[in-house]
Amino acid sequence: MIEIREIGRQFNTRDGGTFEALKDVSFSVKDKEFFSIIGPSGCGKTTLLKMVAGLVRPTSGQIVIDGSPVSGPGNDRAMVFQHFVLLPWADILTNVGFGLEMRGLSRRESREAARPFLDRVGLTGFAEHYPHELSGGMQQRVGLARALAVSPDILLMDEPFGALDAQTRQLMQEDLMRIWDVEQKTVIFVTHSMDEAAYLSDRVLVMDTHPGKVREVLDVPLPRPRDEAVRTTPVFNELTSHMWHELRGMIGDPTAPAPE
Amino acid sequence: MVTDQAAGATDVELTLAARGGSSSRWTPWLFRIGSVGLVLLIWELYGRAQDTTLFFVPFTSVVTALWELVQTTEFWDAFRQTFIPFIWGWLLSLVVGIFLGLLIGRFPAFDALTKPYVTFLNALPISTLVPIAVILFGIGYPSRILIVFLFGVIEVTLNTAAGVRYVNRDLVEMGESFNGTQWRLFRKVILPASVPGIMAGVRIGTGRAVVGMVVVEILLVAVGMGRLILRYRGRFQSAELYAVVLALILFGILLQVLARRIELRASRWKSEMEQVA
Repeated sequence: MIEIREIGRQFNTRDGGTFEALKDVSFSVKDKEFFSIIGPSGCGKTTLLKMVAGLVRPTSGQIVIDGSPVSGPGNDRAMVFQHFVLLPWADILTNVGFGLEMRGLSRRESREAARPFLDRVGLTGFAEHYPHELSGGMQQRVGLARALAVSPDILLMDEPFGALDAQTRQLMQEDLMRIWDVEQKTVIFVTHSMDEAAYLSDRVLVMDTHPGKVREVLDVPLPRPRDEAVRTTPVFNELTSHMWHELRGMIGDPTAPAPE
Repeated sequence: MVTDQAAGATDVELTLAARGGSSSRWTPWLFRIGSVGLVLLIWELYGRAQDTTLFFVPFTSVVTALWELVQTTEFWDAFRQTFIPFIWGWLLSLVVGIFLGLLIGRFPAFDALTKPYVTFLNALPISTLVPIAVILFGIGYPSRILIVFLFGVIEVTLNTAAGVRYVNRDLVEMGESFNGTQWRLFRKVILPASVPGIMAGVRIGTGRAVVGMVVVEILLVAVGMGRLILRYRGRFQSAELYAVVLALILFGILLQVLARRIELRASRWKSEMEQVA
């Protein structure tokens, strides 16, 4: 279980004041749960995710995973990034094995261990290609395979499909669903797409902004496994329109700070 | 029939496209060769218009003199005497420069510690250190190596440090997220990501080291190529004098081309990435 306990994050602004990015954020994510965080730009959802990853420290509060507080990155977690962040000088197989290499395996061992994960994301024939030769969707499949390859209990996904076009995005969502059904991992998924959150998640956290805080946590009462058909069900539509209702008041505010 | 025509048209288009592609690739070379050719032509004509060959000689005479020179053992002895300390000073500047640059780029404390010296060396015309080097180390290999080294090392250091410092933040964060040691993060992310900066340093540093080599030959009591220069100058053998200078220029260009090649090769992923972006 991941417990987010009264997390706060403040930044010092250039004019000497402080900017409160997150305030009193508390919630918990159950094991094997697909948990999405949705909110307008600048609500601190990416910062929150990076705190769970151990890349950013909260100014106040604590994150506790299975009883032990987070003090940095850990072998139990792996992250998928919005802009893929692949090593441009390394081929795809080395990229997928990168996490294993960071954890001490040799290049050869990690490449070998990476192969099945390349198959799992449907890139079997691309082991020796380089990132720039792949489309955005394929690059993010590499990003996902790299995270899966270290066998994390928790997958942290930061708007992973945000940089993709609509069709690719939908395909990736379906593939992620399929993979997640098999892998059974805890996922925290940051997104700004209501559709995506409803389609993928067990629960959705809607965040408020200025400062970023919990607005509400929604259950997604859709049966699994899900397919495209759920997108046209009344439950799905009710959920997304509810989220839209919650979010519309927060966006379009001209005084909002620049997106994170 | 229709398909035949379509296929034919495609072939023509392909040919045109290929031709367009190759002509645009060769255009800069045409301009370069034309530019150099024009200057050489003016040189030749101006040289021929002179009453005497004491001061200014036509380009063709210089080439002839060079051709005769490279057939003498004396030239190659001189070349070796210049070249050996150059190689040592140059390699030393690369090794030390890359090492220092990595430390400076990675550790702000080390940057602060070395900043006064780096700034000092960067602001100082290295030539002014030649007399001091001679006093300290004489006119043998040690001073020569030291001067070449000092000429090259700063550019290598500064470019390497910049390469390390401006490694993409997202890459570093991604590396950190996989929970490895600092050393692995350095070896597997920061170092390869700094290669373009390092290689730029190697290229620029190589050019500077060649300058250092020539400065050593001119300012020190000359034994290598510098001795040839002084001798031909003393005897008013202008064609031979120019030929030695030309040989040094050609050597410098050769090294530059070589360094540029290595740089492009090592940084290929970067240019390919930029083409996509």
